[in-house]
Amino acid sequence: MDKQTILQVYETMLTIRKFEEKALHLFEENKLRGSVHLSIGQEAVAAVVGAYLRDKDYITSTHRGHGHAIAKGARPDKAMAELMGRETGYCGGRGGSMHIADVEKGNLGANAIVGGGIPHANGAALSAQLRGTDQVAVSFFGDGAANEGIFHETLNIASIWKLPVIFICENNQYGMTTAVDSVTSVKDIAVRAAGYDMPGEVVDGNDVFAMEKAVKKAIKRAQDGEGPTLIEAKTYRWKGHWTGDPEVYRTRDEVEEWKTKCPIKRLEKHMQDKKILSLEQIEATHTKIDKLIDEAEEFALSSPDPDPATVLDNVYYEGDK
Amino acid sequence: MSRKKYSVAIRDVIAEEMRSDPSVFVMGEDIGALGGVFGCTRDLQKEFGKNRVRDTPIAEAGYVGTGIGAALTGMRPILDFMYLDFVYVAMDQLLNQAAKLRYMYGGRATLPLVVRGQQGIGRGNAGTHSQSVEAFFTHIPGFKVAMPSTASDAAGLLRTAIRDNNPVMFIEHKALYASSEEVPDDPNFAIPFGKAAVRRQGKDVTIIATSLMVGRALEAAEALSKEGIEAEVIDPRTLLPLDLDTMLKSIEKTGRAVVVHEAHKNNGVGAEIASQIMEAGFKFLDAPVVRLGAKACTLPFSLVLENAVVPGVDDIHEAAKQVCYK
Amino acid sequence: MATKVNMPKQGLQMTEGTIISWLAAEGEQVKEGYPLYEMETDKLTIEISAPASGTLLKIIRGEGDVVPITETIAIIGEQGEDISGLLAEIQSSGTGDNSEETAPAESQKAGVGDKTAAASEAAAAGEPKAEGLGTGTTAGSPAGKGPFYSSPRARWKAEEYGIDITTLSGTGPEGMVVERDVQAAAQNRPKATPLAQQSAAESGIDLSGVEGSGPRGKIYRKDVEAAHRAVSGTAAAGTAARSYREDRLVPLTGMRKTISARMRESLDTAAQAVHRIDVDMSETVRMRESLKAAEVKVSYNDIILKAVSLSLQAYPRMNSRLTDDGILELGAVNIGVAVALDEGLIVPVLRDVDLLSLKAIHDETRRLADRARTGELTQEEYTGGSFSVSNLGMYELDSFTAIINRPESGILAVGAIKDKPAAVKGELQIRPICGLSLTYDHRIIDGAPAADFLLSVKQLLENPYLLV
Repeated sequence: MDKQTILQVYETMLTIRKFEEKALHLFEENKLRGSVHLSIGQEAVAAVVGAYLRDKDYITSTHRGHGHAIAKGARPDKAMAELMGRETGYCGGRGGSMHIADVEKGNLGANAIVGGGIPHANGAALSAQLRGTDQVAVSFFGDGAANEGIFHETLNIASIWKLPVIFICENNQYGMTTAVDSVTSVKDIAVRAAGYDMPGEVVDGNDVFAMEKAVKKAIKRAQDGEGPTLIEAKTYRWKGHWTGDPEVYRTRDEVEEWKTKCPIKRLEKHMQDKKILSLEQIEATHTKIDKLIDEAEEFALSSPDPDPATVLDNVYYEGDK
Repeated sequence: MSRKKYSVAIRDVIAEEMRSDPSVFVMGEDIGALGGVFGCTRDLQKEFGKNRVRDTPIAEAGYVGTGIGAALTGMRPILDFMYLDFVYVAMDQLLNQAAKLRYMYGGRATLPLVVRGQQGIGRGNAGTHSQSVEAFFTHIPGFKVAMPSTASDAAGLLRTAIRDNNPVMFIEHKALYASSEEVPDDPNFAIPFGKAAVRRQGKDVTIIATSLMVGRALEAAEALSKEGIEAEVIDPRTLLPLDLDTMLKSIEKTGRAVVVHEAHKNNGVGAEIASQIMEAGFKFLDAPVVRLGAKACTLPFSLVLENAVVPGVDDIHEAAKQVCYK
Repeated sequence: MATKVNMPKQGLQMTEGTIISWLAAEGEQVKEGYPLYEMETDKLTIEISAPASGTLLKIIRGEGDVVPITETIAIIGEQGEDISGLLAEIQSSGTGDNSEETAPAESQKAGVGDKTAAASEAAAAGEPKAEGLGTGTTAGSPAGKGPFYSSPRARWKAEEYGIDITTLSGTGPEGMVVERDVQAAAQNRPKATPLAQQSAAESGIDLSGVEGSGPRGKIYRKDVEAAHRAVSGTAAAGTAARSYREDRLVPLTGMRKTISARMRESLDTAAQAVHRIDVDMSETVRMRESLKAAEVKVSYNDIILKAVSLSLQAYPRMNSRLTDDGILELGAVNIGVAVALDEGLIVPVLRDVDLLSLKAIHDETRRLADRARTGELTQEEYTGGSFSVSNLGMYELDSFTAIINRPESGILAVGAIKDKPAAVKGELQIRPICGLSLTYDHRIIDGAPAADFLLSVKQLLENPYLLV
């Protein structure tokens, strides 16, 4: 990973982290409503994928999708406005936290049905294949989705048609409150790739360089017309499934243990060791991102609510093809 | 004009649209070499190849979801269902995804997607291959729903469906595939959605019928005519959008309406049509709007039982007389 | 089994009714709930529906007959049925009975007539508050048998055709009136030639009461003219149509009979004295012109009503009636306004005139007059007056004397407004002068206070800005 990409990944991770910390704060202050699923602790997966995808490449995302959106280029202010259901948000307040999409930027959308978005990445990849472009599609999903039928149907189709798609399973150890090993037939979800005749790789999802290696390989394979790859990124969500989760299903020790593997801290240490960034520069980056997120908050809070008179807009596309 | 079977009219429109628009492609089960169980994609793979006429695994949710992704990214997929009964296997992708994405993404996504296939009675296929699914797709906002009852309408409506930028549920009928009529040769022949067809003029009672029931309604109308009752038969052609105006205009004249569909009467589209008529045209009504539909049981296998469940010509005849107080 | 058609009692104090016309001939089929004959109470003409379906076997009492209530006027039964026994029984008893089976059907129209009859009698008896009993219970129920149902379409079509749907009986489920019932009624309505329709419109004759001499009862102009002569009976109508200088006896029926009785009663009872005064209407004319320029429609009569109402408020004795317990000065100022109809006179009552704006007086007077002309007045609308105003200004009269509308104690007769010479500050000027003539009951009010009242009206009309 070159220095510039390292800095990009670092800033993306920091932006995701601070965006979500802000979202949590606003939720606790009752300034935003609905389900807000945080990916704090998992930032490396989204940030690395985002760094290696081009604008024209596609992603599909999940209910825990703020990180994917930001990594694919979403602006924190418009994303925060969507979390607050404002007119200026990515979906004009129609979708909220779980449905941020920016189709023009290749983000085909977060999806609140577990596994619901996986085949859409397949379709985007098929579209690229039919149109003869070198675009690739990435589907992010969780360990829970790997037990949905649609996951299996999609991988099978991607394999037989050799679609330029990369399936990235963020195994954060819990499907809501259920530990992955208690509901999954295999220890590593990546081994399921074998059933669909595609490479399956287990990666330390909190290690940006391990992610880099796996993602680059998968992109190359997709662009070479060899078909899909399944990457299982082992990671951990520090926060509950939702804001207010009593977290009865895990111990504090376990959470603290994973916090020592913080992907951001690890990269900061690496950058200091390799003299990429000094401590002062790291602090300055924090200050810069803090400001960005404060501005996002300010933008969202000062944005208008959607006009109820427009509630029926966009049920259908109006007008001719 | 050329005389064509309903199934051939559909096949020809798909072919014409694929020729004129490279983003149109077809996916589905057994559509390639076989050309579909009912021949609606016959020989298309020969002309357009395996990429654009794509046999899928038996994975309805998988290929519908794949179609959604393709539609989101510039393609215009036609998703072929061998039996529309199988939509239930793909319901999350259809109703949670295809129907909703545009709205939930604040209008920042467009899904030019046609889901087409046949449904209904006529082949002794029993409960999971004979039912009518339209009500599900008229209930959740996001789909448009077309139900052609003739070969020419099938052609004109399908072209509109393929060229529409919304998800369209295009509902054909297995018992109509063999019916034939003159179909315009114009490669741009299209019937706009939301325009009902008045199949027969009459002054005494309005019979609103869909799909296979249109023919039965016309038969009943002939019998009624012999008894001095002139029925007007209206085929809405699309259920969403629904052409309420044409129906109201007729009912203003007749004062009476019977709504008949093959789908279950309970919570069916007929209930919606009857309610809309009542809300907008109460003063026109001389009698309550009567609905006819399949009885509230699973479609049975036995032909005798199947006939007992689905409205027949006699049932329509009786209902029309009933609302005429005769 | 044959059914007797009896003269229906339509109000508490009704004792007799006049048969105006039979809508079916002997031997014709009649239908329960459909109009069978027209009768006249002392205020209004109403249609009465057949109490049973069948053949009209016998008409016992003919058109023009004044028949006491409950007396049998016709018999309905099956074709060829022997009714000699029944006829003999009727002959011997002289009256019909009141059994449920033979009670006449009451239509909605009969319901209205019911109120009318009771009310006019009540008014004649000096009890304006008396309610017509027996109304309401059958309202909306053509056959008087439980609730009335009609389809939305039947109601729509009935409105379009101008048919009162509640007079129809239904052939739909549970007797619901459906479209075909309305269509049948529309078709059964008398057909008239365009000339006859025009003539009827001009002379204010309701075609449904006209007997047609053409095939299947088609009405020609001559039928309308005959009907018009029958109701007006005036020389004006008569001279044109009558070719011989023959005498004609007009039966004293209905409204004429009531008016006759009430005028006699008034003069027999009250000590009627008259004051007369001229009013200079210059300012009133000016005010009306400026209102007119501002597109506010107000008539002279409206302004006079307002002046009278304020004067009545100031002189409550003029707004009173004599009761057994003493003189009852009425709190509310309710003024009767005489409306001339072809068949006579009716006096709808404007309530609380002193509280109404000129505009409101104008609108309400027009509304009541329209309803009086179409025979739609309800009891409340022509009873309960405390004073009356009769304006014959359109007849060029200088002034005239009116008879008190008992139990009120005064009536103001208003003549025409005419330009006349008048002495103004010692000079001769032409002024619009209106002659007012107050008839008052000297039993309860003397000449001086009556003069004060009349002077008050004059002053208000000469300074109409005080009316505000």
